[in-house]
Amino acid sequence: MIDNFNRYVLANSGLLLNGVAVTATICALAFALAVVLGLIACLVRLYVPLLRPAALAYIEFCRATPIFVQLLWVNYVWPELFGFPRTTEGAAVIALAMQSSGYLAETFRSGIEGLHRGQFEAGLAVGMSRAQIMRRIVGPQVVLVMAPAIVNQMAVVVKSSTLVAIIAVPDLMYQAMGIANKWFEPIEVLTTAAVLYFLIIFSISTAAEKIANHFRRKFGLTSAH
Amino acid sequence: MLAQLQQSLDPALFWEYRITLLHGLAVNLLIFLIAAILAAILAFAIGVARLSRTAPIRLAAVGYTEAFRNTPELVLIVWAYYVLPLLVSRALDTRFELSPWLASVLALGFAYSGFMSETVRTGLLSVPRGHVEAGQSLGMSRWTILRRIVVPQAVRHMLPEALSQFVSLFKATSIVSFVAVPDIMYQISMINDQEMRPLPLYTGAALLYCAVVITASQMIQHLSDRWRRRGWA
Repeated sequence: MIDNFNRYVLANSGLLLNGVAVTATICALAFALAVVLGLIACLVRLYVPLLRPAALAYIEFCRATPIFVQLLWVNYVWPELFGFPRTTEGAAVIALAMQSSGYLAETFRSGIEGLHRGQFEAGLAVGMSRAQIMRRIVGPQVVLVMAPAIVNQMAVVVKSSTLVAIIAVPDLMYQAMGIANKWFEPIEVLTTAAVLYFLIIFSISTAAEKIANHFRRKFGLTSAH
Repeated sequence: MLAQLQQSLDPALFWEYRITLLHGLAVNLLIFLIAAILAAILAFAIGVARLSRTAPIRLAAVGYTEAFRNTPELVLIVWAYYVLPLLVSRALDTRFELSPWLASVLALGFAYSGFMSETVRTGLLSVPRGHVEAGQSLGMSRWTILRRIVVPQAVRHMLPEALSQFVSLFKATSIVSFVAVPDIMYQISMINDQEMRPLPLYTGAALLYCAVVITASQMIQHLSDRWRRRGWA
């Protein structure tokens, strides 16, 4: 098995590392977009009563549909419907961002609603505008409380990114399966891919736990689940 | 764009292929049920092992939970379908094969047992310590305490969280079409190959999953609220 490992994994390490790079890029872009979309959806839901049903529908849709279904939907339907995304990578980023934005919107909402109302009222009493209150009082406190959940969601994005191999995005899963199907020796390559994914996601989850413990010990904050 | 939006919300194609799609949905539900039972059984075993006094058992349970929580489900399914039969064949020196749906059931069951073992552990720890001590003072063995005092109460505490994990498991069964299990997404892509009309098909699939999951989540929320009000959970 060792020389199989050398022959199929180490020899193709360039391909596999390319896959890791594509996975990392897609996950980073998708997560950044998800934070923006989730923030918008959450703020619209909480503070814009007119568009509240639309925001609720968006959040429920993003949370209720599985990531696989969303991925295929964005990839095959959106180009005809909206004209974008034009590449499979773009579809992957948009679909992953949509899925996570639903959960992040809920996380933001629970964080903001978990904050004591007195903080908000103190800001109003001093004469701050609503935007100023969000930015200077609510924001800094809530970010610390929500940080573990947000970092956890990063791990979920990486786990879901394995599915983009179905639309032929050359991520780690796609490259590993390509090598396995080409040489008919799946054991070493797929196990290596599994271990690589485990290491990436485990480090993200451990970072989330350490952040949570650090903030709990330093500021006495617990998560607002 | 309005014409295309109208086309994508058109249910005629779904109705025309309703039998095929129902077959796909049935496969999804079957995989979900068996994987859920497997996950529940394993989660119980691992959750109890996590609270064991013997360090090796406890650490093994922690390792199990971390391994299965931090590995993507698709990677587990692909590994179970391609690699596991080869390893078992080499170990037993015979030819071993796993059908795609069995590999998916095993992989999803083990993956979600990782998540649910945390739920089980939290549930077991939520039983007040006084009850355990009362059992100990009566001379019950650890196992008897677990079986007759802790578990009946813990199950009620675990139920809301476990039910939402099951909903997640149902959503995860959508990925089994990757290894050619004839589930609903597979049927939809087959129909798409035939009819070349992705707009209503994929939009319909998304709305179908939306409807099922939102209904299930609302029911679970409603039930959990009712249980909590009655003091059961």
